Amino acid sequence: MPAAPPSETDFEGLLQALVSAGVDFIVIGGVAGKAHGAPRLTVDLDIVYGRSPGNIRRLTGALLPLEPYLRGAPPGLPFRFDPETVRRGLNFTLRTTRGDLDVLGEIAGGGGYEALLPDSRELEMFGLRCRCLELDKLIDVKRAAGRPKDLEAIAELEAIREERRKRGL
Amino acid sequence: MSEVKRTPDGFVVAFPPLTGEPPFAPDPVIEAYKKDVDRGLIVENLKLTVEERLRQLVSLQRFAAEVRRAGRAAFGD
Repeated sequence: MPAAPPSETDFEGLLQALVSAGVDFIVIGGVAGKAHGAPRLTVDLDIVYGRSPGNIRRLTGALLPLEPYLRGAPPGLPFRFDPETVRRGLNFTLRTTRGDLDVLGEIAGGGGYEALLPDSRELEMFGLRCRCLELDKLIDVKRAAGRPKDLEAIAELEAIREERRKRGL
Repeated sequence: MSEVKRTPDGFVVAFPPLTGEPPFAPDPVIEAYKKDVDRGLIVENLKLTVEERLRQLVSLQRFAAEVRRAGRAAFGD
């Protein structure tokens, strides 16, 4: 059964589950944008995860208690977010008991976890040490995604870049 | 909790300073969108720590959920 959609995403709870299990991941998307200073509201957490067998085991183990299910899919599908499913797939848009979570093996313009590592930085997010994509790479991957809905977000991120440069930040 | 570094005018130094030109060419479509960006909000956010920016996201999300709930109560689904 899919998890009932919560009215709010518990970003801290999702990150806590991943960090506690020792999952290798990088926060991208709207939450990363927020960490860089974007005013925009986001309703899901996007991460890029490492594809090693050990990390896939840790990832699926961390999310199992949160009843992950494919977002937007009809109920009753024989979907199990287990290591085999993740190995055979790549990117998953999930609904969990703690909110919506996009678990991505690769992203346009950025590749996978290993490729993105040099463009990420460890930050304290909700009191947890998490890797977050750097601002320039965030802009880069959003540009590469080429989605019309991202245009405002890209403009905002580039404006953050300009305001930081202006102030030597 | 790590110590927060600030500039004399109150901006949080959360990341190493950006130097040099952007590593991407200006895009005329994005430049057009940039005219409507509220830079005042960005400037205020740059005075917050990363932790405060994320807590703000949680509050904003809670507020949006409350508005949706109130809308449903008043007008139905």
